[in-house]
Amino acid sequence: MTLPAKAFQRWLQGVAPEASTADVCRISGIKRTTLAQQLVRGKVSVTTVVSISRAYGINPVAALADFEAYRQLADPQPPPTRCELVSQISTADLLEAVLARPAMDPGSEAGDVPPALSPAPHATSVKNWVDAIDDGEVRHRVSAATGIAPQNYSAQLTANRLTAELAVATARAAGVGLADGLVATGLVTEREAGWAPGARRAALDSLSDGDLAVLAGDRLQALGKVLRRQEQDQAQTEKIWENLG
Amino acid sequence: MIEILQWSTLATCGLIAAARVPSAIRGENRSLFYIFALMTVAILLSIEAPYLVVDAALGGVNLANLLLRFIIFAAIYFVGIRVTRGFGADHAYRLITGKTGMAVLLVISLVMVGVFFLIDTSGSSAGLSAVSGKSERNFVLVEYYGAAGRAYPSYVSLVLLPAMVRAVGSRLPVLVRLAAGLLAVGGVAIALTLLFPVVPPEWGAVEFIINYTAVLCFVVGLALIWAARVRSRRRPGAPKTSTEM
Repeated sequence: MTLPAKAFQRWLQGVAPEASTADVCRISGIKRTTLAQQLVRGKVSVTTVVSISRAYGINPVAALADFEAYRQLADPQPPPTRCELVSQISTADLLEAVLARPAMDPGSEAGDVPPALSPAPHATSVKNWVDAIDDGEVRHRVSAATGIAPQNYSAQLTANRLTAELAVATARAAGVGLADGLVATGLVTEREAGWAPGARRAALDSLSDGDLAVLAGDRLQALGKVLRRQEQDQAQTEKIWENLG
Repeated sequence: MIEILQWSTLATCGLIAAARVPSAIRGENRSLFYIFALMTVAILLSIEAPYLVVDAALGGVNLANLLLRFIIFAAIYFVGIRVTRGFGADHAYRLITGKTGMAVLLVISLVMVGVFFLIDTSGSSAGLSAVSGKSERNFVLVEYYGAAGRAYPSYVSLVLLPAMVRAVGSRLPVLVRLAAGLLAVGGVAIALTLLFPVVPPEWGAVEFIINYTAVLCFVVGLALIWAARVRSRRRPGAPKTSTEM
């Protein structure tokens, strides 16, 4: 989850040998107190390394690979699978793509330039990514490999969060590119993870009308469930206010 | 120590009741104001000095103690109604307001009043401690009288307990869950008062602590729900934005 401060100092020496801590904070936009606290505690967050490496023009994935826990990120990675690429397209973009398909509206003329996809991550990107690479046993293998309790893992996915460590472990357990999960969590961008520009659009276009419609339906159904649950919670809260507020 | 607990409980309760006056005047959930006001009066009557003053006015035969018991009954009844309504515990609501609840209340009240008039109650004394010491017969009767007085609050709080435990584990706002937790602790404390007859006399302080813990938990719990509502009004729409995604 975090990186040892000693290793971080050593890495920083290599990246910006002359710079003071204050310089590093100013350039990378990290609050000085935040970094100082992380150094005092001996645990530097992964986002700190990402911010600093971006500020110094280094690929954050390569920067992470300098640390023991993430060494394997430096190995050549397989390109993202089609399922992964599509999982990183927001539900709104998917629905728009459905509507743009000629099958939806036979009378319309094709040929409009499709609107650009909003960049990953989206509101449910973490859960969608894990679902996309899950062969049914991935969650099990991740919890066996990292020792995280399955319910804690699920809770992170539901909250659209995943620590960098778990994201890499999940990718490893599923046999996909190790940096792919970091894209889904929004830690690094698609480009930084080595995804080809336009890969998501290409994956989307390669889906048949039927596959796309079913996928969009699944997303809508999941969204509906979440919304309904939130509405129920809200209604229950309102009732408590009404009676006890 | 016990004096401090008594007066600080009174102060807490009185302050909350006073704080609810404006909303009671506006007509928002008046019954909550009544609950806090009744509880304040009940705590006042359970403290020696004010008790003696009130009882003197009622003839000095400890009628104030009987009054105190019924004030507690009324307060806990309203708490039961409001809380079961608010938390949507329909079964518990029926157990309090339905035939069972009414039968329990009636039987306990009759027994309590009956026993009270069997006691030789002359000589004002808070908690009937001096009355109890008069004779062996009085001692036994006061024990029964006390047990009857604790029985109804215990019944209501035990009825509330399952719904509170459920609410603690729910997805309601944190403050509401905290409040439900406090109400649950208060409920357990009230139920524990049923065991007072088997508590050795030298542990008398424990009885006081349990009593006031129960009252404090209920009052602070109810006030927390109110605070949660005020807070949710200050940032309108905050919990709703996620529903509108």
